[in-house]
Amino acid sequence: MNRLLPILSLLAGGVLIVIAVIYAVEPAASLPAFFPGHVSATDPEAAHHHIKHAIAAFALGLAAFAYAWFATGPAGRSGAARSQPS
Amino acid sequence: MISYLQAAILGLLQGFAEPFPISSLGHGVLLPRILGWDIHQDDPFFLSFLVATHLATALVLVGFFWSDWKRIVGGLLRSLREREIRADDADARLGWLLVAGTIPVGLIGLLAEKPLRAAFASPETAAIFLTLNGVMLLGAERLRKRVTFDTEVGSDERLARLGWGKAAVIGTSQAIGLLPGFSRSGATMSSGLLAGLSNEDSARFAFLLATPIIGAAALLKVPDLLGPDGDGVRGPALVGAICAAGTTYIAVKFLLRFFETNRLTPFGIYCIVVGVGLSAAFALGL
Repeated sequence: MNRLLPILSLLAGGVLIVIAVIYAVEPAASLPAFFPGHVSATDPEAAHHHIKHAIAAFALGLAAFAYAWFATGPAGRSGAARSQPS
Repeated sequence: MISYLQAAILGLLQGFAEPFPISSLGHGVLLPRILGWDIHQDDPFFLSFLVATHLATALVLVGFFWSDWKRIVGGLLRSLREREIRADDADARLGWLLVAGTIPVGLIGLLAEKPLRAAFASPETAAIFLTLNGVMLLGAERLRKRVTFDTEVGSDERLARLGWGKAAVIGTSQAIGLLPGFSRSGATMSSGLLAGLSNEDSARFAFLLATPIIGAAALLKVPDLLGPDGDGVRGPALVGAICAAGTTYIAVKFLLRFFETNRLTPFGIYCIVVGVGLSAAFALGL
């Protein structure tokens, strides 16, 4: 196993945590337009905070970090060494 | 609003039907219609009431499996410390299997619960889904893998041998419980049987999987109960929660013993009979 997947997981985890924070602190109208849940400033839901989206992104981020943590641990490294071609 | 008597009856029903594979949500939709109560799943006061009964159910499940959860959480922390999920550490492995099974259904629940409830929370739909839930239970018993169970080791050791994919699929199957009439625990037990678990092990895995999901969903909505939507409901909600706690405890204790030697078949038959009967009654305008 190469180190690409753990590195990608770390990156994905970081991005997801940032997304979670944005969802938690920004009202729906202030979210970036490409975020699911974004609405225009005139929408009745404009002031709504998408806490559920924040929790979902946070949970996925933690899962990505957990994967990277185990994949780069002793068992993950020995697995990687075993899988290296001799 | 909801009276104290209605709260007690709905609480008893919720606590009883949540662990049983017969859909608590479906029964919660059907019973008010059968009894002619002016209570609907989308009423804000009823949603606040449900928060209390679900929280009570989750607390009872935590208490019932308290020693198991202590071991499982200890295993999770140990594996994080060692940065390794050892094959011989059943507690750690079971803990991460529960995490793998909970994340997908948690995400589905967070993002889809409201639209699904709005679309399907009618008694007519619940009766049809209850029938299909019965078909699912009977189908799982018929199609289950015929394997020899290792009785030399405990249930947790057997559960810990599940693969990650199977645990994720079993956990994700809980999402069907978002449809009133389909049972969360029924779906978990059914997919557990198809994955090669015994009735006893699949029931245990279902209860362990249900605890964080029910608890988290209820905690997330506690502000509804404490806010304006909870005005006038908190008293009945407390009564309902106490009733739900009592029946949840009895139901889990009964089911764990029941599934040592029995199958999902009687629950499947019950769901089909009640579902078909109510569908016919609703169609005839009764």
